Amino acid sequence: MTRYKRQDPEITRRKFINVAMGTTAAVGGVSLLSTLGAANPIFRLTRDKMPPLKGDILVHAEASKEGQPIRISDLSDQLVRAWPMGKGENGENVIRKGDPNNILALYRFPQGQIVAPTNLEATIGGETVAYSDVCTHAGCSVADSDQGDGMKCPCHSGQYDPKRGCVVIGGPPPRPLAQLPIKLEGDNLVVTGFFLAMPYPYTSEAEWESFKKEVEDQLA
Amino acid sequence: MNQWLDERLHISRLNDKFLRKAFPVHHSFFLGEITLFSLIILILTGILLALSYEPSNSLIVNSFDPGTTDKPNLIPAAYHSALKINAMPFGDMLRRIHHWTANIMVAAAVIHMMRIYFTGAFKKPREINWWIGMLLLIFAALTAVTGYVLPYDNYAYNTLKVIYGIASSIPWVGEWVAQAAFAGKFPGDGVIPRVYGYHIMLLPMILVALTAAHMLIMIKQKHTQPQYAKRIAYKKIVGVPLMTQQTPIMLLLAVAFAAIIVLFSAFIPVHPVEFFGPPSTTPINNIKPDWYLLWVFGALAIIPSFEVNIFGGLIGSEFVGAIVLPTIILLAMFAVPMLDRSRDNMYYAENPTNHPVRLAAGVAFMALLVVWSVAGYKPELISSGILTTGNANTVLWIATFLVPALCYFGTLGIVRGIRALRESDARDRAAFSHADD
Ligand code: FES
Repeated sequence: MTRYKRQDPEITRRKFINVAMGTTAAVGGVSLLSTLGAANPIFRLTRDKMPPLKGDILVHAEASKEGQPIRISDLSDQLVRAWPMGKGENGENVIRKGDPNNILALYRFPQGQIVAPTNLEATIGGETVAYSDVCTHAGCSVADSDQGDGMKCPCHSGQYDPKRGCVVIGGPPPRPLAQLPIKLEGDNLVVTGFFLAMPYPYTSEAEWESFKKEVEDQLA
Repeated sequence: MNQWLDERLHISRLNDKFLRKAFPVHHSFFLGEITLFSLIILILTGILLALSYEPSNSLIVNSFDPGTTDKPNLIPAAYHSALKINAMPFGDMLRRIHHWTANIMVAAAVIHMMRIYFTGAFKKPREINWWIGMLLLIFAALTAVTGYVLPYDNYAYNTLKVIYGIASSIPWVGEWVAQAAFAGKFPGDGVIPRVYGYHIMLLPMILVALTAAHMLIMIKQKHTQPQYAKRIAYKKIVGVPLMTQQTPIMLLLAVAFAAIIVLFSAFIPVHPVEFFGPPSTTPINNIKPDWYLLWVFGALAIIPSFEVNIFGGLIGSEFVGAIVLPTIILLAMFAVPMLDRSRDNMYYAENPTNHPVRLAAGVAFMALLVVWSVAGYKPELISSGILTTGNANTVLWIATFLVPALCYFGTLGIVRGIRALRESDARDRAAFSHADD
């Protein structure tokens, strides 16, 4: 009997099937994973998604007055929300609300109340100041505090002091609200440059810088 | 007809195998059934709602209040269709039933889970079903959250923003994950179709598949038997068969349950989309998640804010509070069956007081979640003057440790008392029967 013993095949049937199954599963799995990439659409930086830019006019964000340019007389120590309005590709007006993080908060305090670390150069006469209205914690829209002490975020009660550069005076936000440099041009409030610090949702200076560069490149 | 079917489909074998499954009779054994009925009601009302819902967040003219031609009143199509559903006969009712049932389903599932935990029904051989049950709970919560977003009113919009923020707080990959999950930078043009797909296709399919597995395994392994079964017939399965005794009980229960839900929905409104209005930049004060996620929200509210950079990834309080912490809690729940080392298969539901440590640990665990849920009301606690901005976090952190600890030792104490009473009872009875002889 032993004379006819068949030589062992190089690879057993079980082993072959296991290897074959493993390989197909791996290849199949990876190819399926690649389709996940399709779930993430390409981001197109259109004008309405650009951040507030030099030359933008501030307009009301409130539904009833949306799009009307803001006048200094509209402002007080109560928050007024604004959108930046810039020019589109063909020179038409574009309200930059494609990115909801562009919402701005405007205040006008009596002379002398606004102090450092607010950048006074970037305010209008040390009275009117603009900030990003988006909480640096989780991106909720910040409102006036119901206790009359500065600003309060309705989501997790983060608190900011708009007279002192919107530093955090309570709650979880990690950073102050970013200040936006503005000036008066005729009757209009006009943006004079990018946010002075990185706004929500940026978490690293590098990302914010590269985004600014992308915007500048596209406009150039 | 029975015979006709039987000859072709062998119904009688099915009958022997499944339809005669014995159901223990005890009120705590109906909780799982209620969860199942909820799922059925949800699917039915969900189908009806899907027939009239428009999954799109592109802006269209509000037909109820069109505005003027040069300044049309534009609202997202999804929100518009929610308004239209409310306007159709019984439309609002349908939404309310759907919403209420979702809440009750999670509640029933949670209480069902407590029954399993406290009577030790998760032990060998039923560990797998505990894990499947955990998955069911998680996916039920996810389904509910995605459902929250669909009306796309201002509330939903803000909720979605928070969810997006949480997803993007994952270090390194967060931005990509959030964008892939929610169709681009918030709010992506396709975000509502995306969430709609999750809510009506992906998640329900997972839920139904898991439910089927849950029940098949339950039939295969049989229920744990209530203690009385031990007295009646030791090691025999005691209970009423599915066909035909249990079925009428189930039907009665299902109908009564549906009736209660409809009653609830008739009188207690939910999520008034008209009140919240379309998505806008005006924030909603004190926005809160549903009750079963309140503990995560509360933990987020009391966690101190911090940020650390590791290899270019940012680990912040948002990530720790909303992702790491719930993961730890869920893992602890997943691990429950592994804490039991017994080799034997489990037949009889255990009396919770015979396992004081397990009982006390469970109570303490629930107390912890309750404390965190209360912490979710931090802004209200502060504005009502019970706590101040200064001491709120400290007080709530102390409560986080103190309350569960108190509950733990309190439960142990009470159990000891109960057992002492029971033992003295037994002694009395023994003494009494001796006197009888
Ligand atoms: S989003 Fe503002 S405090 Fe959390």
